[in-house]
Amino acid sequence: MEKCVLCEIVNGRLPSKKVYEDKEILAVLDINGANVGHTFIIPKSHFTIMEQVPNDILGKSFGVANKVSKTMFDTLNIQGTNLFISNGVSAGQMVAHFLINVIPRKENDGINLQWIPRQITEEEMSTVELKLKSAQEHIPPQPDKKIKKAQVLPVETAIRVGDNYLHRQMRRIP
Amino acid sequence: MSNNPTPEQLTELEEKLKKMSPDELKNFQKSQCIFCQIVDGKVQSKKVYEDNKIVAILDINPASPGHMLVMPKEHYMIMPQIPEDEINHLFGIIKTLSQISLRALEVEGTNILIANGLAAGQKSQHFMIHIIPRKEGDEINFIMPQKTHSDEELEAVRLRMADLLMGKKQSPLVMEDKMEAVSKKESVFPTKDESWNNSEQKDNIDLDEITRIFKQ
Repeated sequence: MEKCVLCEIVNGRLPSKKVYEDKEILAVLDINGANVGHTFIIPKSHFTIMEQVPNDILGKSFGVANKVSKTMFDTLNIQGTNLFISNGVSAGQMVAHFLINVIPRKENDGINLQWIPRQITEEEMSTVELKLKSAQEHIPPQPDKKIKKAQVLPVETAIRVGDNYLHRQMRRIP
Repeated sequence: MSNNPTPEQLTELEEKLKKMSPDELKNFQKSQCIFCQIVDGKVQSKKVYEDNKIVAILDINPASPGHMLVMPKEHYMIMPQIPEDEINHLFGIIKTLSQISLRALEVEGTNILIANGLAAGQKSQHFMIHIIPRKEGDEINFIMPQKTHSDEELEAVRLRMADLLMGKKQSPLVMEDKMEAVSKKESVFPTKDESWNNSEQKDNIDLDEITRIFKQ
């Protein structure tokens, strides 16, 4: 098997622009990103797609992705962030190592993650609904047992933590 | 939200919003939020998954059949507001739901998409995660241009981010060797053509194997 370019980065054999690292997760800048700051969140172990990533590592990856996204708001003078994952070649996956894209966004930056809404018949919708529901009997989603009753961060705290970009976001007219 | 307000109404609303406390703002938004009403069952939807924290519904204007919106029941606007334990739970469910759509809808892949902020394409005031089932030739074109940035620019951004994420110890000197190496290479990451035209490699990482397991 060909060497995985992200594994090479993880073990330091290829240079990278590291923004975060811990035992399990590495975050590096995409040097050809659509915007400067575009970051890849990479589990250090090799997994091809999200479905193979163990829950604890996946949770940590998203925790890091969330921190990176917050950091972008705090440091890059941006107006938004995208988190984007491609699972599979048909979904646009380019490297065979699972990663989360965190993309800083500004107005008119040339990125387009929109789609043309499809008109789907009521019948087709119901078929899809049924298929998705019955498949859950084979792969039951496992709610995290550790989750206690609603533990909600008070808005003021969230705003203090996130500084004023949250304020800006909240005051935008829908 | 639905009937277009006049410019005067907008200014009035803006003034009103400016005077509100964060709590009032949140309550105001909740009362206006269609997705909170979906969560409460006041507005009809096609729910495909629900637990005490999360609900997943089918998008009525989907990118592809099976396009799901997964949202916390609590009204958050953007991801930074969500507590960490809830994020863990949320993405455990995302993984399973993505797996379920691979299996049930016989698609070849999924995209997971989050938009924080209008500039990122966020359309609703209720935080949500999109799971979009993908097939070859489905005419969904997400555009993410590859651009070239100067090393100074990248390094400046890297330092600012790393300082916040890992503490103020990211001396630029430590990175010197690596920077030099990076500037010699055109790209650390292969373009699509380089990495996927190699058929042998493509076989190794083809999703067929994985989807086959699902179908058994």
